[in-house]
Amino acid sequence: MSTVLDILGTAMMTAGTGFLLMAAFAFWRLPDLLSRLHALTKADTAGVALIVCGAACMTSGIAAVLSLVLCGVLVALSGATTGHLIAQASLEDEERA
Amino acid sequence: MTQLFDALLAVGIVGVAVAALFANDRFAAVGAFMVMGFLVALSWVRLGAPDVALAEAAIGAGLTGALLLRSARRLRVEPKMCQSRWSVAASGLISIGFAGLLYAAITSVPTVPAYPPLVAERLGESGVSNPVTAVLLNFRAWDTLLEIAVLFVALVLVIVVPVSRVRPAPLGEMVVPFAKVVVPLSVLISGHLLWQGADAPGGAFQAGAVLAGGGLALVLAGAMRLKKPLQGGILRATALSGLAVFGAAAVATAALTGHLLGYPDGQAKIWILGIEAVLTLAIAATLVLLFHGSVRRVPK
Repeated sequence: MSTVLDILGTAMMTAGTGFLLMAAFAFWRLPDLLSRLHALTKADTAGVALIVCGAACMTSGIAAVLSLVLCGVLVALSGATTGHLIAQASLEDEERA
Repeated sequence: MTQLFDALLAVGIVGVAVAALFANDRFAAVGAFMVMGFLVALSWVRLGAPDVALAEAAIGAGLTGALLLRSARRLRVEPKMCQSRWSVAASGLISIGFAGLLYAAITSVPTVPAYPPLVAERLGESGVSNPVTAVLLNFRAWDTLLEIAVLFVALVLVIVVPVSRVRPAPLGEMVVPFAKVVVPLSVLISGHLLWQGADAPGGAFQAGAVLAGGGLALVLAGAMRLKKPLQGGILRATALSGLAVFGAAAVATAALTGHLLGYPDGQAKIWILGIEAVLTLAIAATLVLLFHGSVRRVPK
Protein backbone atom coordinates (compact mmCIF):
# COMPACT_ATOMS: atom_id res chain seq x y z
CA MET A 1 0.00 0.00 0.00
CA SER A 2 2.70 2.44 1.02
CA THR A 3 4.75 1.77 -2.13
CA VAL A 4 1.69 2.48 -4.27
CA LEU A 5 1.17 5.76 -2.41
CA ASP A 6 4.86 6.58 -2.75
CA ILE A 7 4.80 6.04 -6.49
CA LEU A 8 1.58 8.03 -6.84
CA GLY A 9 3.00 10.84 -4.68
CA THR A 10 6.27 11.02 -6.60
CA ALA A 11 4.39 11.06 -9.90
CA MET A 12 2.13 13.90 -8.79
CA MET A 13 5.03 15.94 -7.39
CA THR A 14 6.98 15.48 -10.61
CA ALA A 15 3.97 16.60 -12.63
CA GLY A 16 3.52 19.59 -10.29
CA THR A 17 7.17 20.58 -10.69
CA GLY A 18 6.64 20.36 -14.46
CA PHE A 19 3.71 22.77 -14.21
CA LEU A 20 5.78 25.22 -12.14
CA LEU A 21 8.65 25.01 -14.62
CA MET A 22 6.19 25.70 -17.43
CA ALA A 23 4.91 28.71 -15.49
CA ALA A 24 8.44 30.04 -15.11
CA PHE A 25 9.14 29.40 -18.80
CA ALA A 26 5.92 31.18 -19.77
CA PHE A 27 6.83 34.14 -17.58
CA TRP A 28 10.19 34.33 -19.30
CA ARG A 29 9.04 33.88 -22.91
CA LEU A 30 5.57 35.43 -23.21
CA PRO A 31 5.53 38.99 -24.53
CA ASP A 32 3.13 41.04 -22.41
CA LEU A 33 1.63 41.30 -18.96
CA LEU A 34 -1.81 39.83 -19.64
CA SER A 35 -0.59 36.70 -21.40
CA ARG A 36 2.01 36.19 -18.68
CA LEU A 37 -0.69 36.50 -16.01
CA HIS A 38 -2.92 34.13 -17.96
CA ALA A 39 -0.21 31.46 -17.95
CA LEU A 40 1.07 32.11 -14.42
CA THR A 41 -2.19 32.05 -12.48
CA LYS A 42 -3.29 28.71 -13.91
CA ALA A 43 0.00 26.84 -14.12
CA ASP A 44 1.10 28.01 -10.66
CA THR A 45 -2.08 26.93 -8.94
CA ALA A 46 -2.14 23.58 -10.75
CA GLY A 47 1.52 22.95 -9.96
CA VAL A 48 1.21 23.75 -6.27
CA ALA A 49 -2.02 21.73 -6.01
CA LEU A 50 -0.34 18.70 -7.59
CA ILE A 51 2.67 19.01 -5.27
CA VAL A 52 0.32 19.30 -2.28
CA CYS A 53 -1.55 16.14 -3.35
CA GLY A 54 1.72 14.31 -3.96
CA ALA A 55 3.17 15.32 -0.58
CA ALA A 56 -0.13 14.39 1.11
CA CYS A 57 0.21 10.86 -0.34
CA MET A 58 3.66 10.54 1.19
CA THR A 59 2.97 11.89 4.69
CA SER A 60 1.16 10.18 7.48
CA GLY A 61 -1.18 11.86 9.91
CA ILE A 62 -4.15 14.10 9.38
CA ALA A 63 -2.39 17.20 10.80
CA ALA A 64 0.31 17.19 8.12
CA VAL A 65 -2.26 16.64 5.36
CA LEU A 66 -4.42 19.46 6.69
CA SER A 67 -1.57 21.96 6.76
CA LEU A 68 -0.60 20.93 3.21
CA VAL A 69 -4.19 21.47 2.04
CA LEU A 70 -4.15 24.86 3.79
CA CYS A 71 -1.02 25.83 1.82
CA GLY A 72 -2.67 24.76 -1.44
CA VAL A 73 -5.87 26.67 -0.73
CA LEU A 74 -3.99 29.84 0.24
CA VAL A 75 -1.82 29.72 -2.89
CA ALA A 76 -4.87 29.16 -5.12
CA LEU A 77 -6.81 31.96 -3.48
CA SER A 78 -4.04 34.56 -3.41
CA GLY A 79 -2.89 33.65 -6.93
CA ALA A 80 -6.35 34.17 -8.36
CA THR A 81 -6.96 37.38 -6.42
CA THR A 82 -3.59 39.02 -7.12
CA GLY A 83 -3.80 37.99 -10.79
CA HIS A 84 -7.15 39.74 -11.05
CA LEU A 85 -5.85 42.83 -9.20
CA ILE A 86 -2.74 43.15 -11.36
CA ALA A 87 -4.77 42.78 -14.55
CA GLN A 88 -7.29 45.36 -13.35
CA ALA A 89 -4.54 47.82 -12.40
CA SER A 90 -2.88 47.48 -15.80
CA LEU A 91 -6.22 48.02 -17.60
CA GLU A 92 -6.80 51.16 -15.56
CA ASP A 93 -3.32 52.40 -16.41
CA GLU A 94 -4.02 51.82 -20.10
CA GLU A 95 -7.31 53.69 -19.93
CA ARG A 96 -5.60 56.61 -18.27
CA ALA A 97 -2.78 56.70 -20.80
CA MET B 1 20.90 15.92 -3.02
CA THR B 2 20.41 18.29 -0.08
CA GLN B 3 23.85 19.75 -0.74
CA LEU B 4 22.78 20.53 -4.29
CA PHE B 5 19.65 22.17 -2.88
CA ASP B 6 21.71 24.23 -0.42
CA ALA B 7 24.10 25.33 -3.15
CA LEU B 8 21.19 26.35 -5.40
CA LEU B 9 19.62 28.21 -2.48
CA ALA B 10 22.83 30.14 -1.72
CA VAL B 11 23.31 31.06 -5.40
CA GLY B 12 19.62 32.03 -5.59
CA ILE B 13 19.85 34.36 -2.58
CA VAL B 14 22.86 36.20 -3.99
CA GLY B 15 21.28 36.28 -7.46
CA VAL B 16 18.00 37.76 -6.22
CA ALA B 17 19.92 40.27 -4.09
CA VAL B 18 21.82 41.41 -7.18
CA ALA B 19 18.51 41.63 -9.06
CA ALA B 20 17.06 43.79 -6.27
CA LEU B 21 20.05 46.13 -6.32
CA PHE B 22 20.23 46.58 -10.08
CA ALA B 23 16.52 46.50 -11.01
CA ASN B 24 15.52 49.44 -13.17
CA ASP B 25 12.12 49.88 -11.65
CA ARG B 26 11.32 50.32 -8.00
CA PHE B 27 8.54 47.74 -7.86
CA ALA B 28 10.76 45.10 -9.44
CA ALA B 29 13.44 45.90 -6.85
CA VAL B 30 10.97 45.50 -3.96
CA GLY B 31 9.67 42.27 -5.51
CA ALA B 32 13.18 40.87 -5.73
CA PHE B 33 13.80 41.92 -2.12
CA MET B 34 10.69 40.01 -1.00
CA VAL B 35 11.72 36.91 -2.93
CA MET B 36 15.12 37.18 -1.28
CA GLY B 37 13.42 37.31 2.14
CA PHE B 38 11.57 34.06 1.43
CA LEU B 39 14.75 32.36 0.18
CA VAL B 40 16.58 33.52 3.31
CA ALA B 41 13.70 32.09 5.40
CA LEU B 42 14.17 28.79 3.56
CA SER B 43 17.87 28.88 4.36
CA TRP B 44 17.07 29.42 8.06
CA VAL B 45 14.97 26.24 7.88
CA ARG B 46 17.96 24.43 6.36
CA LEU B 47 20.16 25.77 9.18
CA GLY B 48 17.77 24.31 11.76
CA ALA B 49 16.36 27.61 13.04
CA PRO B 50 12.62 27.43 12.24
CA ASP B 51 11.81 30.26 14.70
CA VAL B 52 14.02 32.67 12.79
CA ALA B 53 12.63 31.34 9.50
CA LEU B 54 9.06 32.07 10.59
CA ALA B 55 9.98 35.58 11.70
CA GLU B 56 11.95 36.27 8.51
CA ALA B 57 9.14 35.06 6.26
CA ALA B 58 6.36 36.87 8.12
CA ILE B 59 8.09 40.12 9.09
CA GLY B 60 11.26 40.36 6.98
CA ALA B 61 9.76 39.39 3.65
CA GLY B 62 6.00 39.79 4.05
CA LEU B 63 5.36 42.89 6.10
CA THR B 64 8.55 44.78 5.28
CA GLY B 65 7.73 44.08 1.63
CA ALA B 66 4.24 45.51 2.13
CA LEU B 67 5.70 48.63 3.80
CA LEU B 68 8.25 49.08 1.02
CA LEU B 69 5.62 48.65 -1.72
CA ARG B 70 3.46 51.21 0.02
CA SER B 71 6.35 53.68 0.22
CA ALA B 72 7.40 52.98 -3.38
CA ARG B 73 3.91 53.99 -4.45
CA ARG B 74 4.22 57.25 -2.54
CA LEU B 75 7.59 58.26 -4.00
CA ARG B 76 6.55 59.12 -7.51
CA VAL B 77 9.91 60.17 -8.83
CA GLU B 78 12.09 57.32 -10.05
CA PRO B 79 15.49 57.37 -8.40
CA LYS B 80 18.64 57.83 -10.38
CA MET B 81 19.55 54.20 -10.82
CA CYS B 82 22.97 54.76 -12.34
CA GLN B 83 25.22 55.87 -9.49
CA SER B 84 28.81 56.54 -10.28
CA ARG B 85 30.96 53.47 -10.71
CA TRP B 86 33.24 54.59 -7.92
CA SER B 87 30.51 54.64 -5.30
CA VAL B 88 29.33 51.15 -6.37
CA ALA B 89 32.90 49.85 -6.23
CA ALA B 90 33.51 51.51 -2.85
CA SER B 91 30.34 50.13 -1.26
CA GLY B 92 31.14 46.70 -2.70
CA LEU B 93 34.62 46.81 -1.18
CA ILE B 94 33.27 47.94 2.20
CA SER B 95 30.71 45.10 2.17
CA ILE B 96 33.34 42.50 1.29
CA GLY B 97 35.63 43.86 3.99
CA PHE B 98 32.84 43.77 6.56
CA ALA B 99 31.92 40.19 5.57
CA GLY B 100 35.59 39.22 5.94
CA LEU B 101 35.76 40.81 9.41
CA LEU B 102 32.58 38.95 10.44
CA TYR B 103 34.04 35.68 9.17
CA ALA B 104 37.25 36.31 11.10
CA ALA B 105 35.26 37.13 14.25
CA ILE B 106 33.15 33.97 14.00
CA THR B 107 36.07 31.64 13.28
CA SER B 108 38.24 33.17 16.00
CA VAL B 109 35.83 32.15 18.78
CA PRO B 110 37.75 29.28 20.36
CA THR B 111 35.00 27.24 21.97
CA VAL B 112 31.34 26.63 21.33
CA PRO B 113 29.11 29.33 22.89
CA ALA B 114 28.17 28.73 26.51
CA TYR B 115 24.48 29.53 26.14
CA PRO B 116 22.93 26.33 24.67
CA PRO B 117 24.06 24.01 27.53
CA LEU B 118 23.05 26.62 30.14
CA VAL B 119 19.59 26.99 28.58
CA ALA B 120 19.17 23.21 28.24
CA GLU B 121 20.12 22.74 31.90
CA ARG B 122 17.61 25.30 33.20
CA LEU B 123 14.82 24.70 30.67
CA GLY B 124 12.70 22.96 33.30
CA GLU B 125 12.57 26.15 35.40
CA SER B 126 11.39 28.35 32.52
CA GLY B 127 7.81 27.07 32.38
CA VAL B 128 8.01 26.32 28.65
CA SER B 129 9.74 23.59 26.69
CA ASN B 130 10.71 25.59 23.60
CA PRO B 131 14.23 26.91 24.35
CA VAL B 132 13.74 29.97 22.11
CA THR B 133 10.63 31.06 24.00
CA ALA B 134 12.38 30.27 27.28
CA VAL B 135 15.18 32.70 26.39
CA LEU B 136 12.93 35.38 24.88
CA LEU B 137 10.25 35.48 27.57
CA ASN B 138 12.02 34.24 30.67
CA PHE B 139 15.83 34.19 30.81
CA ARG B 140 16.27 37.31 28.69
CA ALA B 141 12.75 38.77 28.92
CA TRP B 142 14.36 42.15 29.58
CA ASP B 143 15.70 42.21 25.98
CA THR B 144 12.26 41.45 24.62
CA LEU B 145 10.77 44.26 26.70
CA LEU B 146 13.24 46.66 25.07
CA GLU B 147 12.39 45.28 21.61
CA ILE B 148 8.75 46.08 22.27
CA ALA B 149 9.87 49.56 23.31
CA VAL B 150 11.58 49.94 19.92
CA LEU B 151 8.33 49.04 18.13
CA PHE B 152 6.53 51.50 20.40
CA VAL B 153 8.90 54.33 19.44
CA ALA B 154 8.48 53.53 15.73
CA LEU B 155 4.70 53.63 16.07
CA VAL B 156 4.74 56.89 18.03
CA LEU B 157 6.86 58.47 15.29
CA VAL B 158 4.40 57.31 12.61
CA ILE B 159 1.47 58.66 14.62
CA VAL B 160 3.18 62.00 15.24
CA VAL B 161 4.37 62.56 11.67
CA PRO B 162 1.28 62.97 9.49
CA VAL B 163 1.97 61.01 6.34
CA SER B 164 -0.73 60.36 3.80
CA ARG B 165 -3.02 57.41 4.34
CA VAL B 166 -3.55 54.25 2.36
CA ARG B 167 -6.60 54.65 0.14
CA PRO B 168 -8.04 51.19 -0.49
CA ALA B 169 -10.85 52.29 -2.82
CA PRO B 170 -9.58 51.20 -6.27
CA LEU B 171 -8.92 47.59 -5.26
CA GLY B 172 -12.39 46.51 -6.31
CA GLU B 173 -14.79 43.83 -5.22
CA MET B 174 -12.46 40.84 -5.61
CA VAL B 175 -10.69 41.71 -2.36
CA VAL B 176 -13.74 41.25 -0.17
CA PRO B 177 -14.21 37.48 -0.77
CA PHE B 178 -10.43 37.12 -0.48
CA ALA B 179 -10.49 38.87 2.88
CA LYS B 180 -13.44 36.74 4.00
CA VAL B 181 -11.28 33.64 3.69
CA VAL B 182 -7.90 35.06 4.67
CA VAL B 183 -8.88 37.03 7.77
CA PRO B 184 -10.41 34.12 9.75
CA LEU B 185 -7.51 31.92 8.66
CA SER B 186 -4.98 34.50 9.87
CA VAL B 187 -6.71 34.66 13.26
CA LEU B 188 -6.66 30.85 13.48
CA ILE B 189 -3.01 30.50 12.43
CA SER B 190 -1.97 33.35 14.70
CA GLY B 191 -3.62 31.71 17.71
CA HIS B 192 -2.01 28.42 16.79
CA LEU B 193 1.46 30.01 16.54
CA LEU B 194 0.96 31.79 19.86
CA TRP B 195 -0.10 28.63 21.68
CA GLN B 196 2.49 26.37 20.10
CA GLY B 197 5.26 28.86 20.93
CA ALA B 198 5.47 27.25 24.37
CA ASP B 199 6.83 23.97 23.05
CA ALA B 200 7.56 24.39 19.32
CA PRO B 201 8.65 27.18 16.95
CA GLY B 202 6.25 30.09 17.17
CA GLY B 203 5.53 32.93 19.56
CA ALA B 204 4.29 36.46 19.83
CA PHE B 205 6.27 38.05 16.98
CA GLN B 206 5.34 35.41 14.42
CA ALA B 207 1.72 35.24 15.59
CA GLY B 208 1.49 39.05 15.57
CA ALA B 209 2.88 39.27 12.04
CA VAL B 210 0.38 36.71 10.73
CA LEU B 211 -2.48 38.51 12.45
CA ALA B 212 -1.24 41.79 10.97
CA GLY B 213 -1.43 40.17 7.52
CA GLY B 214 -5.12 39.54 8.15
CA GLY B 215 -5.46 43.14 9.36
CA LEU B 216 -3.87 44.45 6.16
CA ALA B 217 -6.39 42.40 4.14
CA LEU B 218 -9.17 44.11 6.14
CA VAL B 219 -7.67 47.57 5.53
CA LEU B 220 -7.22 46.94 1.80
CA ALA B 221 -10.75 45.55 1.48
CA GLY B 222 -12.00 48.76 3.05
CA ALA B 223 -13.60 46.91 5.96
CA MET B 224 -11.36 48.44 8.62
CA ARG B 225 -11.66 52.20 8.51
CA LEU B 226 -9.07 53.67 10.83
CA LYS B 227 -10.23 57.18 10.05
CA LYS B 228 -13.27 56.48 12.20
CA PRO B 229 -12.37 57.54 15.74
CA LEU B 230 -13.64 54.36 17.41
CA GLN B 231 -11.86 51.83 15.17
CA GLY B 232 -8.67 53.88 14.97
CA GLY B 233 -8.73 54.48 18.71
CA ILE B 234 -9.17 50.81 19.54
CA LEU B 235 -6.34 49.83 17.24
CA ARG B 236 -4.01 52.51 18.63
CA ALA B 237 -4.87 51.56 22.21
CA THR B 238 -4.20 47.88 21.40
CA ALA B 239 -0.87 48.76 19.79
CA LEU B 240 0.26 50.88 22.72
CA SER B 241 -0.98 48.35 25.31
CA GLY B 242 1.88 45.95 24.47
CA LEU B 243 4.57 48.02 26.14
CA ALA B 244 2.20 49.08 28.93
CA VAL B 245 1.23 45.50 29.86
CA PHE B 246 4.78 44.18 29.53
CA GLY B 247 6.05 47.03 31.71
CA ALA B 248 3.30 46.46 34.26
CA ALA B 249 4.17 42.75 34.31
CA ALA B 250 7.81 43.66 34.95
CA VAL B 251 6.83 45.89 37.89
CA ALA B 252 4.40 43.28 39.23
CA THR B 253 7.00 40.51 39.14
CA ALA B 254 9.49 42.83 40.80
CA ALA B 255 6.97 43.43 43.60
CA LEU B 256 6.13 39.70 43.92
CA THR B 257 9.56 38.10 43.69
CA GLY B 258 12.02 40.95 44.00
CA HIS B 259 13.40 40.35 40.48
CA LEU B 260 12.38 42.31 37.40
CA LEU B 261 10.57 39.79 35.17
CA GLY B 262 11.49 36.93 37.53
CA TYR B 263 8.21 35.03 37.52
CA PRO B 264 6.87 33.44 40.73
CA ASP B 265 7.74 29.76 41.13
CA GLY B 266 5.52 27.38 39.18
CA GLN B 267 3.54 30.17 37.52
CA ALA B 268 6.03 31.01 34.77
CA LYS B 269 3.95 29.51 31.97
CA ILE B 270 0.83 31.53 32.86
CA TRP B 271 2.84 34.75 33.00
CA ILE B 272 4.59 34.00 29.70
CA LEU B 273 1.37 33.10 27.89
CA GLY B 274 -0.43 36.16 29.24
CA ILE B 275 2.35 38.50 28.17
CA GLU B 276 2.68 36.83 24.77
CA ALA B 277 -1.08 37.00 24.14
CA VAL B 278 -1.11 40.77 24.76
CA LEU B 279 2.08 41.20 22.73
CA THR B 280 0.57 39.31 19.78
CA LEU B 281 -2.36 41.72 19.59
CA ALA B 282 -0.11 44.74 20.17
CA ILE B 283 2.43 43.71 17.52
CA ALA B 284 -0.34 43.04 15.01
CA ALA B 285 -1.97 46.42 15.69
CA THR B 286 1.42 48.18 15.50
CA LEU B 287 2.27 46.61 12.14
CA VAL B 288 -1.15 47.47 10.68
CA LEU B 289 -0.78 51.08 11.88
CA LEU B 290 2.76 51.32 10.47
CA PHE B 291 1.33 50.25 7.10
CA HIS B 292 -1.74 52.44 7.28
CA GLY B 293 0.08 55.57 8.38
CA SER B 294 -1.09 58.31 10.66
CA VAL B 295 -4.81 58.85 11.03
CA ARG B 296 -4.41 62.56 11.68
CA ARG B 297 -5.31 65.08 9.04
CA VAL B 298 -2.46 66.41 6.96
CA PRO B 299 -2.36 70.19 7.58
CA LYS B 300 -2.62 72.19 4.37
